[in-house]
Amino acid sequence: MRRVCMLFALAVLFFGVACADDSTGTGGPPQAGTLILRLTTPHADDGAVLFELSGPPIDSVVAVSASLRLFMRRASDSTIVAAVVGDIADGAVVTLRVPDVGAAAGYTARVLDVADRQNALRASLTGYALTVVP
Amino acid sequence: MKIGILVLLALVRAAPVLAQTPVVGSWREQVRRLRGAHAATAPIVKAPHRLALPRSVASASTALAEQEPNNTAATADSAALGDQASGVLDPAGDVDFWFLDLTAGEFLSVDVDANEAGSPLDPAIALFAPDGVTQIVTNDDFDGLDSRISHRITTSGRYYVAIKGFGNQGGPEDSYAINFGTVTCGTVGTEQEPNDGPGTATPIAIGDSGSGEICARDANPLGDVDYWAFTAQAGTTIELDVDAEELGVLSDPFLAAYASNGITRLAFNDDEDGRDSRLQFSIITTGTYYAAVSTIADPGGNPFPYSLHVRLTAQGPGDPITVRADSLGFPLGLAVGSNGDVFVGDVTGSRVARVSTQGAVTTFAAGIQSPLGLAFDAFGNLLVASVDGAVYRVTPQGQATPFITDAGIPFWIAVAPDGRIWLTDVSDRSLRRYSPTGQFETRFDAGSIGGFGPGPLAIGPSGEPYFSNGTEIWKLVNGQPQRVFGNAFVIWAFAFDVAGNIYAPAPAVGRLTLFDPAGTALADPFAVGPDAPQAVAFGRDGTGATVARLFATDSRVGRLVEVNPAGVEHAGYPVGFVPPPFSLDVAVASLLGAGGLSAADVQYLDALGNHNGRYDVGDLRAYLTLVGDLPEAAGAATPRRAGRNP
Repeated sequence: MRRVCMLFALAVLFFGVACADDSTGTGGPPQAGTLILRLTTPHADDGAVLFELSGPPIDSVVAVSASLRLFMRRASDSTIVAAVVGDIADGAVVTLRVPDVGAAAGYTARVLDVADRQNALRASLTGYALTVVP
Repeated sequence: MKIGILVLLALVRAAPVLAQTPVVGSWREQVRRLRGAHAATAPIVKAPHRLALPRSVASASTALAEQEPNNTAATADSAALGDQASGVLDPAGDVDFWFLDLTAGEFLSVDVDANEAGSPLDPAIALFAPDGVTQIVTNDDFDGLDSRISHRITTSGRYYVAIKGFGNQGGPEDSYAINFGTVTCGTVGTEQEPNDGPGTATPIAIGDSGSGEICARDANPLGDVDYWAFTAQAGTTIELDVDAEELGVLSDPFLAAYASNGITRLAFNDDEDGRDSRLQFSIITTGTYYAAVSTIADPGGNPFPYSLHVRLTAQGPGDPITVRADSLGFPLGLAVGSNGDVFVGDVTGSRVARVSTQGAVTTFAAGIQSPLGLAFDAFGNLLVASVDGAVYRVTPQGQATPFITDAGIPFWIAVAPDGRIWLTDVSDRSLRRYSPTGQFETRFDAGSIGGFGPGPLAIGPSGEPYFSNGTEIWKLVNGQPQRVFGNAFVIWAFAFDVAGNIYAPAPAVGRLTLFDPAGTALADPFAVGPDAPQAVAFGRDGTGATVARLFATDSRVGRLVEVNPAGVEHAGYPVGFVPPPFSLDVAVASLLGAGGLSAADVQYLDALGNHNGRYDVGDLRAYLTLVGDLPEAAGAATPRRAGRNP
């Protein structure tokens, strides 16, 4: 019985570690890949969004659609300021190429300005959010 | 649309609606006077200085007396050619019928004398066919308040003449005399009949006046046409001026000028001065030319006397003009493309014609009803205001689609250097401003400016819109109309040169005038070559830059003309969108925090976008749309690279 318990404990430890590897990447080699920057918006007629993205390194940023125009500038080693222009909808906005997809939770994104499709600036950013997801 | 056309005509002609003002005297007295006068040396006496010869209707010794009841064709009183009859329209609403047996070919004259003879009656008469029901022709107020009918009888039979008081007027004092006869055409004044063609034209010298009578002596459906011949020197401008209505008779003369071959019509006019006509045209080649006086309103109707004046018009530095294109229908608005081609709106042809720098004329866009103002937008599309209520956007390929549809009657249109679109709306007398992509921004009331309009519109060197109210030019300063200057004549679609001077066409008098920015005339006339110039625009070279060449639409004769470039001192002020002096990269970098834009650039971008006082992502979006860097699915316009148009 004691032996059985020991094996079970080892099994738990093994699989537990394995699960932790899958979910956080800690403890294993970084895996390059893409992440998605998703926009949550209360409006259906957004025409341009200015945002700031900070966190772990980002190799490149591209718009998710050819109908969107993306402009970006690296403000610092850890911060990108970007604007995406076009008929923007709730959901994926840009794709991030990163050296470590396991670091997704380390990114923070902030909406700075939004304009509608008539070029008018939104008076309030309430209800807007940006999240980086695998 | 009808309102729009009326407004248009009012603006084009700048003439008040003809008042049916009673005048004293009769047309026959004018004929009598003309017969006894050599108008070449004796001036025509103008209304209201006509001599009245009071006559008593009751004293007419040959008068037949009416016999009541005669209120219908069935109870009509009998009369014959040569008779004078008399009656009284009493009580109110009384109608007297007379009948005559007439033969085909007779040129019937029914002439009423009442008001001119002292009766308070304002008579109106009508001629009915032998069925007694079909009304052939009516008349009211031919001779002062009195009436006359002249009509060629085409079928023999019994005809009926009814006389009643205007507005069913009637009373014991409302007496009348009615003369039944035939129209007789004699030689009146200085004309020498027959002069119905260039081969028999009556000679007249420049500086002289002639006189005659338009009288349909035969069954020619065109009626009488009097030709006059004169010799003119190349490089001069001739004015032909006909007075008929001004002599006090209800008449509507038509005037045309013909080339030396007697066939090619060089210019024509109807109703320049009330119903009277006047025109001018430039002489290209020394030779004999012809003036033809007729009427198109009632060619087989009442005869009327007229006087014709042939004058030499003083020229200006813009003369002589050169005809760049003709047969353009009724050209009104124009805009010059970036390669120098001229685009002309043809009102009667409902099209936009393109006149190449080589003079080739093609239809650029069709199906735009009565195109008015034209301007190129920031994307190279041609914007065309139409009386159908829309501003059309015509692509460089000539595809026209409604673009701005929320204005009542868009009249004239201009594009500012920032790409914004300005238009005048004659339905509510306002100026309206739109974004470069056609979104309505704001409206400015201009009802306070008086006169007509706001009509023609141009962007001044200050970037402010200038507009005409007819005889005055105004500008919009801080949203308020501010008068710049006025003129004696109607100022139509004007243009600025780089010095801020204003070239203004005056269609009613057939001239262009050059004003300084304060409205002082620098050259008046600047040019008299155009017959009725409507709109002017400076030419552009192959780079799109404006040059010192000035074009004008000449509506009545359907042509595009260019004034003498030697007289144009400055290049034209650039019109339309001016691309900003920075790149897209700089605009983007500045938004993203890297700077690079000047304060003026930031102000420009904000004005282009949402004008909230700062440069933001909405302004960048507007700029991307403007320069054509926004994917089409996201842009309101079909963008082209800025600054280029056909």
